[in-house]
Amino acid sequence: MAQKKVEDVLLQIPQVRYKKSDGTLYIMKERVVFMLENKDQIAVSHSFYDIKMQKISPEGKPKIQLQLVLQDGGNSTFHFVNKNGTQHQMHDRERVKELIQSILPNFKRKIDTELEQKNKLLTENPKLLQLYKDLVISKVITSEEFWTIHGKDLQNIQNVSSKQEIGVSGNFLTEIKPINDGCNQFKYNLTPEVIESVFRAYPAVKKKHAEHVPNKLTESEFWTKFFQSHYFHRDRITTGMKDLFAECGKMDESMLKKDIKKSNDPLLNLSKFGDNTIEEGFCSSSLVDNKIDNAGNIVHQNIIKRFNQHSFLILKTCKEQQKNSEANPITDEQQDKKNNSIEGSNKRQKNVDNEVVPIQTEEERNEQVQKKKMRIAEKIHYDDLGNDLTQQNKDMSTVTNINLDKLERYLYGPMPSNENSFVNSNKYKVAPIDVVDMTIRKNTSEWSQRVTHKQLINPTAAVNALGELSPGGVLMSGYHDHNLSQFVPTEVEKELNNLYLSAGELLHEFWLCFPPITPELEMKLLKMHDTIQRFNSSKIKPFEDRIIRDLSPLGSQLVSHINLLIDTAFRKFSSWKEKKVGKVK
Amino acid sequence: MSENTSDDPSLLVIAVDTNPSQIVIRKNPDALTKIINSISAFGNAHLMQKPQNKLAVVACHHHESKFLYPSAEKPQEFRQIDGQYEFFTFVEKSIKNNLSELIKNAPNISNNSESLLAGCLAMILCYILRIKKSQPTGSNLNTRILVVTGSEDSAHQYMTYMNVFFTAQKERVAIDICALDNTLVLLQQGCDITGGHYLKVPQLDGLLQYLLWIFLPDPSIRSKLALPPPVKVDYRAACFCHRELIDIGFVCSVCLSIFCKFSPICTTCSTVFKVPLPIKPKKKKLKT
Repeated sequence: MAQKKVEDVLLQIPQVRYKKSDGTLYIMKERVVFMLENKDQIAVSHSFYDIKMQKISPEGKPKIQLQLVLQDGGNSTFHFVNKNGTQHQMHDRERVKELIQSILPNFKRKIDTELEQKNKLLTENPKLLQLYKDLVISKVITSEEFWTIHGKDLQNIQNVSSKQEIGVSGNFLTEIKPINDGCNQFKYNLTPEVIESVFRAYPAVKKKHAEHVPNKLTESEFWTKFFQSHYFHRDRITTGMKDLFAECGKMDESMLKKDIKKSNDPLLNLSKFGDNTIEEGFCSSSLVDNKIDNAGNIVHQNIIKRFNQHSFLILKTCKEQQKNSEANPITDEQQDKKNNSIEGSNKRQKNVDNEVVPIQTEEERNEQVQKKKMRIAEKIHYDDLGNDLTQQNKDMSTVTNINLDKLERYLYGPMPSNENSFVNSNKYKVAPIDVVDMTIRKNTSEWSQRVTHKQLINPTAAVNALGELSPGGVLMSGYHDHNLSQFVPTEVEKELNNLYLSAGELLHEFWLCFPPITPELEMKLLKMHDTIQRFNSSKIKPFEDRIIRDLSPLGSQLVSHINLLIDTAFRKFSSWKEKKVGKVK
Repeated sequence: MSENTSDDPSLLVIAVDTNPSQIVIRKNPDALTKIINSISAFGNAHLMQKPQNKLAVVACHHHESKFLYPSAEKPQEFRQIDGQYEFFTFVEKSIKNNLSELIKNAPNISNNSESLLAGCLAMILCYILRIKKSQPTGSNLNTRILVVTGSEDSAHQYMTYMNVFFTAQKERVAIDICALDNTLVLLQQGCDITGGHYLKVPQLDGLLQYLLWIFLPDPSIRSKLALPPPVKVDYRAACFCHRELIDIGFVCSVCLSIFCKFSPICTTCSTVFKVPLPIKPKKKKLKT
């Protein structure tokens, strides 16, 4: 037990089981250790630095357990098996729990959240990290200055992390996977998130829960009943009246009907949707007996209905969430859009509502037509294409057609002029065109003869051409610049790249100060000027010296551009300063 | 062009301008024979590079454009001459025979007429698309066009040219230009758009050498070779009124016609514009 001698043991709990082997749990100053019985061997050892949190098994469970969740996502579960009974087991666990609880905060790394975020930002953006290294670590600018420049990015991250809320996943019910424990039993693990999802998607269940749980049923009994009914009974036609959720089904159904009525989109006739298959071989048989088939099969119908209802409810939770987050009431347009999305999911909706379409009067019909027109206009209108809806409607009536005077020109661009475009041909002494034509015709008769290679190309001409095409030849002027990259080693290239990155950033800030109309901008300008000067002397000059020494012919070429950039900035600065001095005088 | 690899076979289509109005030909009518010889040799060199390589040659004459090779006629039996591979003899013969046929049957030319190169290129693009479609699936074919011309830039084919260039770009067909006489601004733009190479041949005598040196390798290989650097391309547009290249012009907001001078009424679509107000001179800053 060498371990014990070195570290103080704060607590020692015998009769603990870890992975089906008994042993003793030790809690020491800096770690939790589990030792197997009768062995001098450490089975588990967790430093408190690694432990993220601890979890205990809920009350009423047969096993008294304690779980340590580690920073890296792993965990270890300890089972307390005191022979003296549950009471003692509980007591053991409480002691461990409390001790860990008191120790753990001491080991929490006290990282400033802001610092953490900055760190995250830097690690996520290698470019930014490079900038930070170049500018801050080499003391060209201070850390605060750096973060005032890039503070926006930081804030963006903060905003993003705070704003987004988790919606209800469409498959949350299938996510709850039952665990078969081998003896004809299923076990469901319900997390608070899942329960929350169920409540949000099924308001009726929430109501029931509120009614029953504390008084009539226990929490676990309620959920057992829920799953039994939800997964099993609902597909059966005979739902016993005693079922707790029988009512819920009816409530949901009536709500569905209400919602369908509410969505009065003139372009959408929900009740007319048929469940047609795309083609024979998909889902069901041919189109003709499809209706009979589906109508007869009430099980299919019920399943489709339930899927629809489920999606309906899921989508509705999103809507509610938005409603809550938006303090101001939703405009009609938005409402419409949301309704659309819900309707979209319900395309396969069967004739759920049996309501008879009322006979319309002329006025009503007109109104509907008007509504339809509005809807279509809404769909084809884009906000970013200018004027608002009403304005556009007015414009529609005054649209003028394009009046093309010269259609040819519109279609073909610049038109040939009437005068001969071959004027400059007169500059050369050339044979008349008909003579040329005749010569060519005559020449063609000789083409059938074999051409010797000397006729094909004269060796002297070929050598001349080669000379022109070789580096240094007439046609190859400007060829060397192009291949500068071949002579520059990669490290130097990378360094130059970084240099450009930093210089670009600084110069960007510098030029942003112009025109310096406010005292703040002026201050910043002065500061940026100093910074660039410092950067120039601490970074660029050493680089230039080294490059000129190492890569003698190229050195000045490599840095000439960056020097030009900085010189331009300096020149601008000095001219501004001169002007300012002149003004003051 | 990055997808094309040098391992795939390539289809080269040569468009040769045979219009007698070209200055090169008018100065020396025998130049056409030289050009045709060079092109035949160059085409055979292309076929020799890889057994799967394909070739097509189109002549653009003053009255029509026509495929010289491959043509409708069936390959005849060719005797081996000088130890030349029979297929090469066939290529050369069919190019020359078809061209002489074309020239003999052409109507007599009395006036200078422009070569309709843009139309010829459009024809070639159609051909390329057809060949590409008939390829077995999964096989890749690099395609490019080489234009050999001594004609001048023609502003009035501008629209057709641009359509051809952008189609070629979309179909990944590189257009190489070998200018024999004039600097061709418009076609330079085409090279630049499609990733081809532009060369103005300094002397016609060495034409074959230039062709073999610069245009024989596929565009994917060219970056690895020491070739003349690409020329700076002039992207100025021609105005609709005087057909002159302009740096800054006026564009009608309705029909997109380009004008070199502002006029209150668009001459293409007779739209009436507001006369722009002269910009007010900035007020001098008050001295504090």
